Amino acid sequence: MSLSAYVPILGLFALAAAFALFSVTVAPFVGPRRYNRAKLEAYECGIEPTPQPIGGGRFPVKFYLTAMLFIVFDIEIIFLYPWAVSFDALGAFGFVEMLLFIGTVFVAYTYIWRRGGLDWD
Amino acid sequence: MSDLQLPHINYAALAPMLILFGAACAGILIEAFVPRERRYPVQLGLSLAGVVAAGVAVITQAGTRTITAGGAIAVDGPTVFLQGAILALGLVALLFVGERSLEAGGPFVAQAALIAGSEPDRRQVVRPGATEVYPLMLFAIGGMELFVAANDLLTMFVALEVFSLPLYLMCALARRRRLLSQEAALKYFLLGSYSSGFFLFGIALIYGFAGRVDFAGIHAAALGSDRSNALLYGGLALLSIGLLFKAAAAPFHVWTPDVYQGAPTPVTGFMAACTKVAAFGALLRVLYVAFDRVSWDYRPVLGVVAILTMLVGAVFAVTQTDLKRLLAYSSIANAGYLLVGVLAMSKDGLSSSMFYLVAYGFTVLAAFGTLTLVRDADGEANHLSRWAGLGRRSPVFAAAFTFLLLAFAGIPLTSGFTSKFAVFAAALDDGQTWLVVAGVITSMVLAFPYLRVVVMMWLSEPAESTPTVSIPGVLTSTGLAIGVAATLVLGLVPAPLLDLSTKAAEFVR
Amino acid sequence: MTVSDVLLLGLGAVAVGAALLVVTTRHLVRAGLYLVVALGAVAGIYLVLAAELVAWVQVLIYVGAVVVLLLFAVMLTRAPIGPSEDLDRPGWPALLVGGGSGLGLAALLVDAYRWSTVDRDQVGDAQRLGTEIFRSWVLPFEVLSVLLLAALVGAIVVSRPEVGRARPRPPDRGER
Repeated sequence: MSLSAYVPILGLFALAAAFALFSVTVAPFVGPRRYNRAKLEAYECGIEPTPQPIGGGRFPVKFYLTAMLFIVFDIEIIFLYPWAVSFDALGAFGFVEMLLFIGTVFVAYTYIWRRGGLDWD
Repeated sequence: MSDLQLPHINYAALAPMLILFGAACAGILIEAFVPRERRYPVQLGLSLAGVVAAGVAVITQAGTRTITAGGAIAVDGPTVFLQGAILALGLVALLFVGERSLEAGGPFVAQAALIAGSEPDRRQVVRPGATEVYPLMLFAIGGMELFVAANDLLTMFVALEVFSLPLYLMCALARRRRLLSQEAALKYFLLGSYSSGFFLFGIALIYGFAGRVDFAGIHAAALGSDRSNALLYGGLALLSIGLLFKAAAAPFHVWTPDVYQGAPTPVTGFMAACTKVAAFGALLRVLYVAFDRVSWDYRPVLGVVAILTMLVGAVFAVTQTDLKRLLAYSSIANAGYLLVGVLAMSKDGLSSSMFYLVAYGFTVLAAFGTLTLVRDADGEANHLSRWAGLGRRSPVFAAAFTFLLLAFAGIPLTSGFTSKFAVFAAALDDGQTWLVVAGVITSMVLAFPYLRVVVMMWLSEPAESTPTVSIPGVLTSTGLAIGVAATLVLGLVPAPLLDLSTKAAEFVR
Repeated sequence: MTVSDVLLLGLGAVAVGAALLVVTTRHLVRAGLYLVVALGAVAGIYLVLAAELVAWVQVLIYVGAVVVLLLFAVMLTRAPIGPSEDLDRPGWPALLVGGGSGLGLAALLVDAYRWSTVDRDQVGDAQRLGTEIFRSWVLPFEVLSVLLLAALVGAIVVSRPEVGRARPRPPDRGER
């Protein structure tokens, strides 16, 4: 039973949860309160968010394509794990099969690239 | 770990699927690299060639009885027969899909998700349609080929998804009445994925029972397993729900009229013909190969489903005023007749069901093909009242459609009669009299809506607004000719195909 | 009761509770986030049952990708932040069907397995699944790539206009 291997991870989860709880509960009591414009910005989230329709608007459908790309390549990557781990046992057969799999998904990639699915605007 | 047993793969047995999927991938690369104006002829040629080549590959497999690709594929008589049927019907469907002379740009639009009625959506109605439908058709046909050959439930599930997904998409691409088309696609997708969930849960229960998912393993476990039989019955019930949904049997038929009506008419024909073959092919294999030992337990249940399906299809067909919906309910009723053949659980039942699938497929393809011809300014005129007096305006066309309707009604000298006769005879031989009685009664009810259309076409005066019958292009003419000819030939001389289906009617386990 | 039993019961309760919240909440976005909890708890159940790879697939694909897709889908609609009163039709037919089949299946499974025990002697790790996939399930695996290809083509057909056409859309207009 390999569950014991996960005890350190569980420990880390507990630690992270404790830290988050601690920060959130203690911050209002000990932190200084100086409000300014910078405090209203999204905190450490990189670039400025794209202009969003406020209330009732819709997001452009291109987000959907991005999400689909993500999910498809996510699934492809997942299959690489078991393949890579047992690569030695599978030999050339497994290599060819995986090439075929990646090749097929790569056809989709080429298609999307040529159709402009990777351009943002 | 170097003693890994690699699966033996018989590439000749896989060739039809490999050809179709390969052609589909090539089609997608064509989409990527060939200029837009030139795509249509290239895609059409490629997909027709792909289907024909796959057909040749299927024919070379005649007589093969083998299980290959790690037990995932069974190639036997029914596989070859049904694969050939799907390819022949798919080829005719491709002809209708490829027709571009009836409407500028073909029956499809380029982009499905534009808001119906919005400015860009109205603009795309006059633009050339998406040529992606050809690779999507090939994906669907390839998935169906795999579906009827699958020898374990996992392969079957993947194949189910492979042929369903392109169908969901193509439903959304109708050039006219966009909102209806989008509604059809969404409905089909949501209900289809829901039924896939049932199918998957059924697999899980059966795995819990048998510890395997291949059909031979399930067959062996049904003899006696240390698990409770509730798992077996529950699993079979959920599995059947998934398959009966695709076959459009009541009470899982609710999507059928809306989807058949909203989808582009060539795609509707494709669904009515090929999806039915695939769904019943898989149902036959599941019931005959994996679960034959418990057939006494599920036959009454499926018998009730069959009667309900026939009743619902026949009764609701009477009330329809839209021809596509009428044919949709007729397709539901036909699923019921097919179930009667399936439930005979004999060699005759198997062969007559397979014959029925082919005969019905050609007739229904031709029927939906004729629907694409009757047009006015807004596209196809499918409302029943609009067809009044068409017989006086275009006698040849109306005569052909009348013949197809008579075939649906099961009048002698048409394939509809021979195929119904075959399944009912098989069921009678097996003592399923109650099913046959229900089948005959509902056939008589169902004849009424067909004859009403016939009467309307020939005996009414053409009104001012009666739509015109377009001159079909080469592709549609060929498709219609094949469909009508098959309906006639299978009615007059059914023996060769019946012999073929009888010879093929033996599963490998 | 062993540690595993306690973990399974706890995770199962979390999964069912979160799933109930998914269907009862009136906030569409919160429903998506409750779904994360439910799927995560199911991943935990897989882990306790020694299906290691499946557990992490559940986290990566379902918690990671599918929920993201779901939230994107919510954003593509009228982006209802806050409670939506029109979210549900009268719930009782759905409750009857969903609850009935759920309870029925649960009863079936409980009855089928009673107190029988199953050994978890073999861990479902990446290596074992890798050899299984390539030994017994090569064909479904390859066909999966075809399914992914069809899905991506479908995504383009649904949402992306042909390139090379003039693009008149201003970038700040929401819908296309």
